[in-house]
Amino acid sequence: MNKAKDPFVRVVKRDKMHPLLMVAFYCIAILAALLVGAVLLISLGVNPLVLYKDMFTIGMIGSRFAYKSIEGLLTVFTPLLITSLALSLAFKMRFWNIGGEGQFIMGALAAATVALRLGGRMPSLPLLLLMFLAAMLCAGVYGGVVALLNVRFRTNETLMTLMLNYVALYLLHFVGETQAPWNFYLSSESVRPVFQKLPKAAFMPTIPIGKFSLNISFLFAVAICVGIYFYIKKTKQGYEISVVGDSVSTARYAGMRVNRIIVRTMFLSAALVGLAGGFYVSGAQALSTSITNNVGWTGVIVAWLSKLNTFAIFGVSLLISIMQYGCQVASTQFPIIDSNFADLLQGVILFFVLAADFFIRFKLVFRKSAKQQKGEEA
Amino acid sequence: MKKVLSIILALTLTVLCFAACGKTDDAAGNDANSDFLVGAIYINSQNDTAGYTYAHHNGITTAMKQLGMDTAKQLKIVDNIPEDTEQVSKAIDTLAGQGCKIIFGISFGYIDAFAEAAEKPEYKDIIFSHATGYKSNDVNFNNYFGRIYQARYLAGIAAGLKSLKLQNNNLGYVAAWGTEYAETCSGINAFALGAQSVNPKAVVHVNKISTWGDEAKEKAAAETLINTYNCCVIAQHCDSAQPQLAAANGKVFGCGYNSDMTAQAPTSHLTAPIWHWDVYYKLAIETAMNDPAHFMEKVGIYYGGLKEGFVDISPLSENCEPETAGIVEKVKTMMVNGEWDVFTNVKLSIDANGNITKNTEAMKDNKGADVISADGNTYFAYNTETGALEAVDGGKDACDGVIKGSMNYYVAGVVEG
Amino acid sequence: MAAEYAIELRNINKSFGSVAANKNINLTVKQGEILALLGENGSGKTTLMNMLSGIYKPDSGQIFVDGKEVVINSPEDSKKLGIGMVHQHFKLVEIFSAADNIWLGAEPGDGGKKAGLSRVLLKKERYDEIARTAEQFGFHIDPKKPVQAMSVSEKQTLEIIKVLYYGAKIVILDEPTAVLTVQEIEKLFDILRKMKAQGRSIIIISHKLNEVLEISDRVAILRKGEYIGTVETAETDQEALTELMMGKKADLNIRRTKIEKKNPLLEIRDLTVKNDEGAIAIDHVNFYVRGGEMLGVAGIAGCGQKELCEAIAGLRKIESGMMNHNGESIVGLSPQKIIEMGISMSFIPEDRLGMGLAPSLSITDNMILKKYKNNRLSPLVDRKTARRDAQEVIDELEVVTPSAEIPVRRLSGGNVQKVLLGREIKSEPNVLITAYPVRGLDINSSYTIYRILDDLKQKGVGILFVGEDLDVLLALCDKIMVLCHGKVMGVVHASKTTKEQLGLMMTGVLDLSEANGKTAGIAKDSNIKEVQP
Repeated sequence: MNKAKDPFVRVVKRDKMHPLLMVAFYCIAILAALLVGAVLLISLGVNPLVLYKDMFTIGMIGSRFAYKSIEGLLTVFTPLLITSLALSLAFKMRFWNIGGEGQFIMGALAAATVALRLGGRMPSLPLLLLMFLAAMLCAGVYGGVVALLNVRFRTNETLMTLMLNYVALYLLHFVGETQAPWNFYLSSESVRPVFQKLPKAAFMPTIPIGKFSLNISFLFAVAICVGIYFYIKKTKQGYEISVVGDSVSTARYAGMRVNRIIVRTMFLSAALVGLAGGFYVSGAQALSTSITNNVGWTGVIVAWLSKLNTFAIFGVSLLISIMQYGCQVASTQFPIIDSNFADLLQGVILFFVLAADFFIRFKLVFRKSAKQQKGEEA
Repeated sequence: MKKVLSIILALTLTVLCFAACGKTDDAAGNDANSDFLVGAIYINSQNDTAGYTYAHHNGITTAMKQLGMDTAKQLKIVDNIPEDTEQVSKAIDTLAGQGCKIIFGISFGYIDAFAEAAEKPEYKDIIFSHATGYKSNDVNFNNYFGRIYQARYLAGIAAGLKSLKLQNNNLGYVAAWGTEYAETCSGINAFALGAQSVNPKAVVHVNKISTWGDEAKEKAAAETLINTYNCCVIAQHCDSAQPQLAAANGKVFGCGYNSDMTAQAPTSHLTAPIWHWDVYYKLAIETAMNDPAHFMEKVGIYYGGLKEGFVDISPLSENCEPETAGIVEKVKTMMVNGEWDVFTNVKLSIDANGNITKNTEAMKDNKGADVISADGNTYFAYNTETGALEAVDGGKDACDGVIKGSMNYYVAGVVEG
Repeated sequence: MAAEYAIELRNINKSFGSVAANKNINLTVKQGEILALLGENGSGKTTLMNMLSGIYKPDSGQIFVDGKEVVINSPEDSKKLGIGMVHQHFKLVEIFSAADNIWLGAEPGDGGKKAGLSRVLLKKERYDEIARTAEQFGFHIDPKKPVQAMSVSEKQTLEIIKVLYYGAKIVILDEPTAVLTVQEIEKLFDILRKMKAQGRSIIIISHKLNEVLEISDRVAILRKGEYIGTVETAETDQEALTELMMGKKADLNIRRTKIEKKNPLLEIRDLTVKNDEGAIAIDHVNFYVRGGEMLGVAGIAGCGQKELCEAIAGLRKIESGMMNHNGESIVGLSPQKIIEMGISMSFIPEDRLGMGLAPSLSITDNMILKKYKNNRLSPLVDRKTARRDAQEVIDELEVVTPSAEIPVRRLSGGNVQKVLLGREIKSEPNVLITAYPVRGLDINSSYTIYRILDDLKQKGVGILFVGEDLDVLLALCDKIMVLCHGKVMGVVHASKTTKEQLGLMMTGVLDLSEANGKTAGIAKDSNIKEVQP
């Protein structure tokens, strides 16, 4: 009689999950990803325990200069944290700013321009302030224009920000490769085109803690993190972002000036990415054509993995930074492992975390257990 | 069911972990220097199978093996590092932290990071060695490069003899850059001078692709040279073997670069200027290991050539004209002995029988201006801002500086495009 | 021999997380009958039907179709069993033509209809074929017309044709009348009767008692996920059904308090407004609302109600005319300014959430939507007051929610509307414009809202009530303005008119705008000092 069979497995929505259990789920996902990574490593003849140990201790164990590992980690972590936070602002408004790369470059370029042009003429503090102001303004306008075109002519912000990434990148390549009398970005002493080093006054100050020197930009990044949390949760502008992100027609109905909010938020988002670029160039003390280290892209991943939650962004970007930096350190022990492995592992983790996400919202019910259920009822 | 699976998986992993542990343990050296660590920072992957990074990696590992070192344990590599000072500095910190005593950086853009690291007090006991750069200090920071132009001159001879035979004076040259870089510029000039020594009518057509690596552009540039400029030999200063493949396809001949590209183009390849990076790496590592205090005296700013065996040409293939081997050998010997060098006021003229005549005369660029005076005591270069030809300070001793840094003209017989 | 029951459900259970949507439901549908499935919002009607259409799967229980037990894993299974469902929210591709929307479901095995090449290629004949099917059932539809150009009623017709085209023996309609006018409802019922005459079984989900009584043969009642029972329509009446549905006796009288006339609060003179497409939506309209007066607005769907509401709220530019509030012009003011003047507008669109609420935000956050800027000195949002307001609305309007911090989209439809209306009342407006406030609500919730509106009126608030149900307009409002194609057909006293008269005005047959020698909608004691030519 019963010709059609129940499917072997089906997806059933779950009750609301306890937050602790959710955290446990994500941890299991990361562990599972590491396990998959371990299988890959073993197949390459690499001992995963050693590699993971080096990776998660960012090579501090057995290092002659362990404090430098933390300094190194922070140079990866700081720009990623600020960029992810900044992108999350726009994402919260459902405005797809994937132009982090371009805005980061524009910020760095603006800061470097100020540093190289005004470097000799003023003391460090006002120079740094001017640099960061220029970085924020330049990147902010670079992103703000996209928002302006979007609200004015309904252009697609995803495409616009994406394409502007390349415009900025090629602009950077142009000033980095064109030897000409006007090009003050290049070092005059080198025959080959090399970016000029910034003047000393433009270097990001550091706070020495013993041998360790703490780059001040990290403190700013933490402050920005707290600030953005406060901005989104407590301020009127943050509230407006949430409403516009949720329903534009509702925002209009409530009397919000939606266009202005979109432009303002996008400006802020881009300006913060630009600030990260400014911080970076000031810390690196010179421009380079690979200055972004892909933070504009990684930042998108971080923001999504964190579900735009400000403090989750802190945690996730820290994890990804440890993986990226730690994997580079760990890879020196194994000729076969190069830095691409970090990207691979990142991909696997992303995959598993998305899977965990699914299992947090749904559960699988197998055919057998469904029958058992029936039996129990009878 | 699920539990059982996970237990099995966990067990397998544990066993495999220990197996992997065991494997890395069995290779051990008892050399006194078995704890000396070498660090290297690469622009591309250490697992590359061709190209610039591969050439250096191969050089370092060869040198270390010659010194009886275990590359698996004693060589620490950070690869895929772009020319970004911050990222290079981080890589240096990593290698220094692990105890490397000499750190090589192979890409030009690493220059500032290396210069800075060398000045740090905590790194005083580490030697920094930077390829292709021009910065150094007196204690622990040098740079190294080679007289590859000498090898290019020899390759030019092989190409010139081919063009004589084919009665086609057009030679092609696929160049990453032109006069922007002294490195490419001197290579092109040396090749042209070599060709002209046997075929005074030879013309070198340079096709510039304006990038250090783009296989599609390299191929297209070579095809243009063959089809539009009717070139009979394609030389190159770029990473891949694409120009040689294009030459083989176009039924013309070619001179590769970096490695013996006869393997890729057996029917058309003549010879290729090649590097023996291991020559330098052996010297540098050995000195750093045994006498680091005198590294700068013993190694210093390194600019090796044919004499040191640092550069050479790959074995002449069967595609070469029969007289090539004899002539090349003679000229090579002259350079090894220090009897003659390329960028001087002495021009070689070689007849079909291999008789070499030395003519002392000024070297002219392709605009007709003297770039090396007839007495050989003055070197000239164009001022990039004013465009005027100016004498380079240093008289006769400016020679190496011009070749490495300020040469920005083509010699007579070279045309761009 | 066909079985007695086209469909039989036994002990069906379905939960979503910890919420049991259906508990041990038993239900039968006879061959060739119209069964009404009656229940309040959230009683599990749609969930139950979605298990027949293959969208959900029961956690336990058995389904019999034509006497045979079946398992329905997917909408395809359902289709193969001859079950077709017309959903409340149409599942149509807007840019496709009617024919292509029907074709969309075509796949191998549809009774051999789509054999061979036509499975791959779109053929011209499909238009004729679909027109033929439509005619066969007495529909008129242009198969080439794109869905986005169709009225709501046409879309529904298309959905029904789609179901019939694939040979459904059992047709389920989810709240089909919610979006239709009186006349369209009649047309739909004719179609349903025709389908019944052809031997099809029909299940119609509804909570409108008069319609249920008019169309169905039997009525099955659900309450809070449980099956209450099935009654013969002929043997029951409104009161009995209400009691079954709500579990208690309910007062079905709408209260209309008469209060003393006050000055005109909101006056609209000669207003002309265009719609999104640039066509005239409101055409030289005059009306006024006094304090303590409720003016109803009647009209068939899309005759300018939305544009009128948006114009008053400052959300839509007006072409010409005057809008005065307490003698002060509000033309050209920003929505924010208009809100501050005490004019509150709430418009419940068809999807209920489109305007007025931010669905992902909590009840608390939605409370401050219109007044978050009130304290200009502080850059911060005042959530303390918001939390208090939210709790008050929850308590006073009996909003069912675990807490005030729940996102609004997780609430059921009735509760969403209570939150919206509650917020508008909390803002203590002097003019309240409310469009379709009971759209999709069950009886109990609807009557609560009628009472709230009447309470507001007693406090002296002027109310503009845009409604659908003529019975309600007649019972609740003091006066009724009838719109037809953006023109006022007249303003009549609710106590002095009839449903039939309103119907004639709505369709433009009867025009009372210039009756008794004066233009309707201009107050004698108008604040607009202006010399009439």
